[in-house]
Amino acid sequence: MPQVRIIAKNFMDMVASLPAVKLDKLYDNTFICEAILRSLPPLAKKYVLEMLYIDSPITAKSMEEWVLADGFSKHRVAIDRLIQLRVFTETVDRKKETTYRLNPTFQTNLQKHLIHGGVLPRESMPSNITVRLPSLEDLEAEALEQWECFLLHLISSAHAERLTNFSSSMMKVFQRGLLSQRDKEAPRLTVNGFQFLLMDTNAQLWYIIREYISNSEERGVDPADLISFLLELSFHVTGEAYNMNTLNEVQRNANQGPCRLGLGQTSAGVASTILGRKESWFIPTKLATNLSVSLSDSSSRKQGFVVVETNFRLYAYSTSKLHCEILRLFSRIEYQLPNLIVCAITKESLYNAFENGITAEQIISFLQQNAHPRVAERMPSVPENVTDQIRLWESDLNRIEMTPSHLYDGFPSREVFEGACDFARECNALLWEDSKKMRLVVKGEIHTEMRKHLQNQK
Amino acid sequence: MGHGEKGRPSKKQKSSAKDDHRNTIAEDEDAYMVEEFNDDYRDGEKEGKKNDYTKLELKPDHANRPLWACADGRIFLETFSPLYKQAYDFLIAIAEPVCRPESMHEYNLTPHSLYAAVSVGLETETIIAVLNKLSKTKLPKEMINFIHASTANYGKVKLVLKKNRYFVESPFPEVLKTLLRDEAIARARISPEGSQGGDGFTISKAMGEIEGGHDGLLNQAELAAAAEEKETHSFEVDPSQVENVKQRCLPNALNYPMLEEYDFRNDTVNPDLDMELKPQAQPRPYQEKSLSKMFGNGRARSGIIVLPCGAGKSLVGVSAACRIRKSCLCLATNAVSVDQWAFQFKLWSTIRDEQICRFTSDSKERFRGNAGVVVTTYNMVAFGGKRSEESEKIIEEIRNREWGLLLMDEVHVVPAHMFRKVISITKSHCKLGLTATLVREDERITDLNFLIGPKLYEANWLDLVKGGFIANVQCAEVWCPMTKEFFAEYLKKENSKKKQALYVMNPNKFRACEFLIRFHEQQRGDKIIVFADNLFALTEYAMKLRKPMIYGATSHIERTKILEAFKTSRDVNTVFLSKVGDNSIDIPEANVIIQISSHAGSRRQEAQRLGRILRAKGRLQDRMAGGKEEYNAFFYSLVSTDTHEMYYSTKRQQFLIDQGYSFKVITSLPPPDSGADLSYHRLEDQLALLGKVLSAGDDAVGLEQLEEDTDDIALQKARRYTGSMTAMSGANGMVYMEYNTGRRHPGQGQMKNKPKDPSKRHYLFKKRFV
Repeated sequence: MPQVRIIAKNFMDMVASLPAVKLDKLYDNTFICEAILRSLPPLAKKYVLEMLYIDSPITAKSMEEWVLADGFSKHRVAIDRLIQLRVFTETVDRKKETTYRLNPTFQTNLQKHLIHGGVLPRESMPSNITVRLPSLEDLEAEALEQWECFLLHLISSAHAERLTNFSSSMMKVFQRGLLSQRDKEAPRLTVNGFQFLLMDTNAQLWYIIREYISNSEERGVDPADLISFLLELSFHVTGEAYNMNTLNEVQRNANQGPCRLGLGQTSAGVASTILGRKESWFIPTKLATNLSVSLSDSSSRKQGFVVVETNFRLYAYSTSKLHCEILRLFSRIEYQLPNLIVCAITKESLYNAFENGITAEQIISFLQQNAHPRVAERMPSVPENVTDQIRLWESDLNRIEMTPSHLYDGFPSREVFEGACDFARECNALLWEDSKKMRLVVKGEIHTEMRKHLQNQK
Repeated sequence: MGHGEKGRPSKKQKSSAKDDHRNTIAEDEDAYMVEEFNDDYRDGEKEGKKNDYTKLELKPDHANRPLWACADGRIFLETFSPLYKQAYDFLIAIAEPVCRPESMHEYNLTPHSLYAAVSVGLETETIIAVLNKLSKTKLPKEMINFIHASTANYGKVKLVLKKNRYFVESPFPEVLKTLLRDEAIARARISPEGSQGGDGFTISKAMGEIEGGHDGLLNQAELAAAAEEKETHSFEVDPSQVENVKQRCLPNALNYPMLEEYDFRNDTVNPDLDMELKPQAQPRPYQEKSLSKMFGNGRARSGIIVLPCGAGKSLVGVSAACRIRKSCLCLATNAVSVDQWAFQFKLWSTIRDEQICRFTSDSKERFRGNAGVVVTTYNMVAFGGKRSEESEKIIEEIRNREWGLLLMDEVHVVPAHMFRKVISITKSHCKLGLTATLVREDERITDLNFLIGPKLYEANWLDLVKGGFIANVQCAEVWCPMTKEFFAEYLKKENSKKKQALYVMNPNKFRACEFLIRFHEQQRGDKIIVFADNLFALTEYAMKLRKPMIYGATSHIERTKILEAFKTSRDVNTVFLSKVGDNSIDIPEANVIIQISSHAGSRRQEAQRLGRILRAKGRLQDRMAGGKEEYNAFFYSLVSTDTHEMYYSTKRQQFLIDQGYSFKVITSLPPPDSGADLSYHRLEDQLALLGKVLSAGDDAVGLEQLEEDTDDIALQKARRYTGSMTAMSGANGMVYMEYNTGRRHPGQGQMKNKPKDPSKRHYLFKKRFV
């Protein structure tokens, strides 16, 4: 089983990691070209637009002249990104001069798109059919609920009150790396699992989407198709209904997957489907329109809910069971009120968290990222004494260093004992000696040498 | 119901159990109680359904309401709510604050707090109605029932001293009948002449409550009801039986605790004292508020007012005395604070010099005229032994006089039995207790509720800091790693009695202390107090650093001299104090405290010590938020890591943390590059110090035990008398030889004779102060 590494990578990184052939294929779709353009860093965007109508390659040298010396690092980043995404193709000629030009498919498609505009493969359904269309708030609430339910399910199936739309095999895929299960024991969260829960929603979402996409091949689905669908989605209007029949099979399946799950939060959420009387349609949620936007964008971050006081008490304005579970990871829950959770951060609760592999930094950044707007403006948003103390408690645990070692005693004579001590000292492996009782502790690595030495003494 | 109710009886049991041992076992009240009594919300309360109140119904406009109320009596208050001020005033009247940091306060409804609420004139229905208005959720049924149950009997009966006759008063005649069914009370009753049949209660009109605190929340009808005059019924009791009657009314008997009120305006028997506040004495808003709670209905209520140190408790006391304008007996904890109280009276009021007198072992004054103020100590009044002829006369006078006001300072330090004695000796119409920290580790604080009266007002520390009324203190805990050698000795079993000395004398701690003193003296020009409970450490530190020190055996004269020098001289910027300095030594100049050793886990001591530097310094605008200096006072607690001190330190800070203070942990003091600048840099020096500690007798390195001195209140009664000075002088040939001779037999070994001979004084102090 591959080790799952949790990095809050964004969607575009994943696009960039597709094989060249697939990437080129993606650029057949004009919408994807635009989505890619949108996702680029500003400088890269500028380069693309500048070179849009230039058909001949441009030397790297002349491009470097476009930027001032202090902007060079940004220039480098932009170029790297463009090459990664195969928007630029790089050629090195015989004179070892590097030249760049736009990817021809990308170029023509984008040109076309600029001149003619684009038409989506489907239109939103007329409103007379979709009478009972949910409002945007409802949609978000629905997405949020779905997402929490999904996470609770992920942590432990016992927590989830209603079934998610994922098949259990799919769930297992998501759970791997996050949960570990020994025979007949209840599954336990792994270190990664804890970390996953403490990540912000966007990062979590990407983790799940990435898992979903990278697993698609096992299910016989081309990841490129999925990506292309997800990108296309970003041009749909949030909250409008679209007919399911316009989707091809891959897309429909995709919709049944994480999208249908409503991987959604206020800022995220791909799509949710509601079955109409005769026809079914799907409604993209906010995430759909934000797909191509860089996810580190904090403006899309949801409102915080946590107030931490100088007396290590934590008040979370939340009704969510999931939040409760997350807080329980590192604090003691004392009161649960209709819209407030009262916890205490104690040494014991933190030790518990540390034992589970959560680090002080993760807890602190969770608290900071989720700071309630009342305290978010305050600097620091989490009281300094609390953050200090959390770090101190963590470092307290790291004060003891373990060295595998062996204890020798019962020496026949002082001579032998001292000889052994000297020998260990020479090997730089003597950890402790008690000359009165003739005992010594030696690093484990020289145990065999030590034994040989002692045998020779005899 | 939740632990609010359940918790109490068990506590009662425990404390009564303790009472039995009180006189036999030499207990270290603060140190060990802590381990038994965890704070109510921190102890191993099991998570679970008990505290799950998610089912409570949220009101639709909950965002505009400031608080949540739980069935177990816990209340959470948002401080950023626009209704915060009103809600705070209300909650502080009905509930006990648990913690009050910046954004969210927690309170507990307890029977005591509700008793206090009723006694300041709030009625059951008002409490429930206002609480319901402020609450985001519908009030839990359990809470409503609890309020009903707790307040059913409270505040129904008042004991009023009118024209020197005691009356038991109540608006409910049936309650009076219940009381009279009790034999003791029936006997104490004085039947009015010519009473025929009926219940014979005197019926009169009492003035309604004049309180405007909650008008914003109460509707007009409720207000009108509150202001309406009420009919009260009363019967008279025999003055000699008053204590008995009160006893019978306590919760363990008839459970109609009596409120005591003094109708001083109609008291024509006791002569008026001609004094009033000087015009420049402007009580601050919170002082006004606390006074308004006391004089809410035109009479004077007995009770306790809690204000942080430095927030102007004495002005509240003097103002109260000025309103009552009758003879006033003011009790303080020691002679120094007696002087300070006398000074405060003269400073704030127009009292004439001959109307005020001090009564201590050193000064036995008597006021002229038929009314006046006497300032004395608890011990002088409660002293059971033989007195000089002169003091016998004065005490007789105190006994015989009817005091308008009994003003008691620092009520938290005085053991309950001392109060009983004082209260039985002195006859007073109204008792006002003042304190900064209503916490005791032994929970005996609840006794005060019935001995003095309910808590009338408690200020919020953080609000006062924000208002610039008290200093904004930066608290820090300095972690001093034990040196290898000291730690090795610390871990040895045979040194179990020296553990404290070892972690206090930890050279790293010494260096940190020296560094801090230097830093604050030289860089900031601050005035520094260093606190050490451990006398061995105190002397060792003070002598090594060549600074003056005050401890239990320091004479009153010398204390005054040292403090005077500290206040005025530019060369004396640091003073070392043992725990005699914890309470009521007023040193307004000091703004830095370094604590090198302390009394185990005492939260009260920590708060009291912090209080020494709370008096606001500098100009108001500099202190306010965003002013020039964010912090203008510093409190350092030096802790040796990996020792018991760490554990205690967490305990100790709890009270202050609950008031919203935070302790910053400093791990790198002194800076690693300070090297040989500071003492004990070289290993030989450290080892010499270690030798000194180890060779000192076990008893010498223990805690300081305060002698029962006639003008020093027994902070701790019946202790191990270790004679802490002896071994130190004997064993090490140090300069404290003279105390060896002054020592009595262990067991009664108190040093009544304070060393007054200047020739025996330590050279350091001899040079400076003699």
